[in-house]
Amino acid sequence: MKRIFVACGSGVATSQTVASKVQSMCEDENLDVSVEAVDFKSLENIIDQCDIYISIVSEKDNNWNVPTIKGIPFLTGIGMEEEFEKLKELIKK
Amino acid sequence: MNNSILHENLIFLNYEATDQLNLLNKFSGILYANGYVKNSYAQAVIKREQEFPTGLNTPGVKIAMPHTYPAHVLKSTILVATLKDPVTFKEMGNSDNNVNAQLVFMLAITDPKGHLSILSKLMSIFSDKEKLSDIYHTDNKMDMIKKLNKILF
Repeated sequence: MKRIFVACGSGVATSQTVASKVQSMCEDENLDVSVEAVDFKSLENIIDQCDIYISIVSEKDNNWNVPTIKGIPFLTGIGMEEEFEKLKELIKK
Repeated sequence: MNNSILHENLIFLNYEATDQLNLLNKFSGILYANGYVKNSYAQAVIKREQEFPTGLNTPGVKIAMPHTYPAHVLKSTILVATLKDPVTFKEMGNSDNNVNAQLVFMLAITDPKGHLSILSKLMSIFSDKEKLSDIYHTDNKMDMIKKLNKILF
């Protein structure tokens, strides 16, 4: 099972929502994943525990060696299919 | 979850704000005066907006969703404002971009996991151009609450 982290500034609203959206999209495609919302400040300590990272913060704040997907498209719908395709590729790897 | 998350005195239609700081201060002050947030909320929400902006370039009416950590919140609510003139926010996920927000959802949330369903449903309209337009053009506070409650619950 692939472990996916979604991080936003405070772990309050956006990361939770994106995590639940991604989880249900993956379930619809029978992909075995665990999607968790985390807050950005704790990410540094736990980033090595995830296989894929979905980012809702600016790219310049991201400095990890983990495959990264954009989270905003899952909120606005703009570019969502494209990001989901990328995510599926990473999950199947 | 009951449907008391929206309140008529926290709905603002055709609101005039000079800029982002003015808007965040005014709305934080109103939430504070009505007992929804602590005194510290205003500074916290302003700081968080600088670190992690909340503007969203949706396919329709542009949105800002200012919020901060639950530690600054006393009672959960969502303040809703339609803006007469757009107010510039930075874009979530890409702070090099600006968002000319016309619709503001200011979140005061004590328990993000407990409110996940409401937050998800609120954000589900962010990809819906027609719904956003309909919400933005609402000209009556009770209608606004009715429309949003239909989405949230």
